[in-house]
Amino acid sequence: MPLRSNEAGWGALVRAFHWLIAALIIAQGVIGLSMVQMGVTPAKVRVFALHKSIGITILALVLLRIAWRLSERRPADAPAMPQWQRRAAHGLHLALYVLILAIPLSGWWFNSASNAPLVWFGWFDLPSLTGGLDPVWKPRALLLHQTLFWILVALLVLHVGAALWHHFRQRDDVLRRMAFGPRKYDGEAR
Amino acid sequence: MTKWLGHSAIAILAALALPAMAKSWQVDPAHSTLTFTNSYQGVEYTGQFRRFNAVIDYDPNDLAHAKFDVTVDVTSLDTQNSERDHTALGADFFDTAEFPKAHFVTTAFHKAADGKVVADGVLTLRGVSKPVALTVSFKPNGDAATLDVTAQVKRLDFGIGTGQWADPSMIGDGVAVHGHLQLHGAK
Repeated sequence: MPLRSNEAGWGALVRAFHWLIAALIIAQGVIGLSMVQMGVTPAKVRVFALHKSIGITILALVLLRIAWRLSERRPADAPAMPQWQRRAAHGLHLALYVLILAIPLSGWWFNSASNAPLVWFGWFDLPSLTGGLDPVWKPRALLLHQTLFWILVALLVLHVGAALWHHFRQRDDVLRRMAFGPRKYDGEAR
Repeated sequence: MTKWLGHSAIAILAALALPAMAKSWQVDPAHSTLTFTNSYQGVEYTGQFRRFNAVIDYDPNDLAHAKFDVTVDVTSLDTQNSERDHTALGADFFDTAEFPKAHFVTTAFHKAADGKVVADGVLTLRGVSKPVALTVSFKPNGDAATLDVTAQVKRLDFGIGTGQWADPSMIGDGVAVHGHLQLHGAK
């Protein structure tokens, strides 16, 4: 598998970005929904710190991924796709990029407006985006963070559904060319 | 003449017998602060107690009769983080339901080797009384004055955040306290 993407499929780096960020987003969603239910203990403080660290990691990976993505061509759409499907797919992908940038940023903003520490895995401090407590924007940033998360969940249902539809109903290469492992589609049903 | 001498002698004796009073000051609460610096998750933060009462008798030339008596409304804690403040007032930390006030009173003043004035005293916080020394900086300005005091306090000495919260990498044990008081002459 080449490092760079080509007409036939995604390069190894794009696939690595895709699945690494996917795994972190799933972990982050589970942690985020669980941590707010916890009683106030040192464990809760540590889980919040973990959530913040993973969020900053996702933000950095997404920025690298976008920079890489802009530097290379993308594979052609599956030939059988009508124009509306191509537009829907590209629009959905653009929306996913926007969300996976905006969700960590809104979390960082909420954390800053709350005047809470932000230390990446205990290594280094990240600056506040608000310069201290901001009681006006604090609830708005939290609402934005939560709302964007649920929009992401809805769009991921479409994204995963479309990938599975391509794979099992259309029997095309769309999922396979993003995956690691399976050989290129050879026309046989498996 | 004899009568006059007698009256003067009584007046002088009376003056000697009365306890000498260091100058009393009024604290201007609008321009006075009681702040502290501590660390949380390794990050330094500053908080303050917005309400406190201080009785200040102080003359830099008469340390023997100086006295500070400070009562702090612990519930007025503000670290600019409402979740942290709410937790800090709870039973694991300041436990203000049980101990709403903290009290500091000086026992003696002396000059340290470096010439700075040090006020020894007793801090009562969360039901625990321990000696705490203040470093005093007093700047008179006509009928007014500025008084800055600093102290190092260990939160665990007073049982603030013990047990599961004792880990100093989560919440630092050392707390640097700074009182900044704007004083004017008592009426």
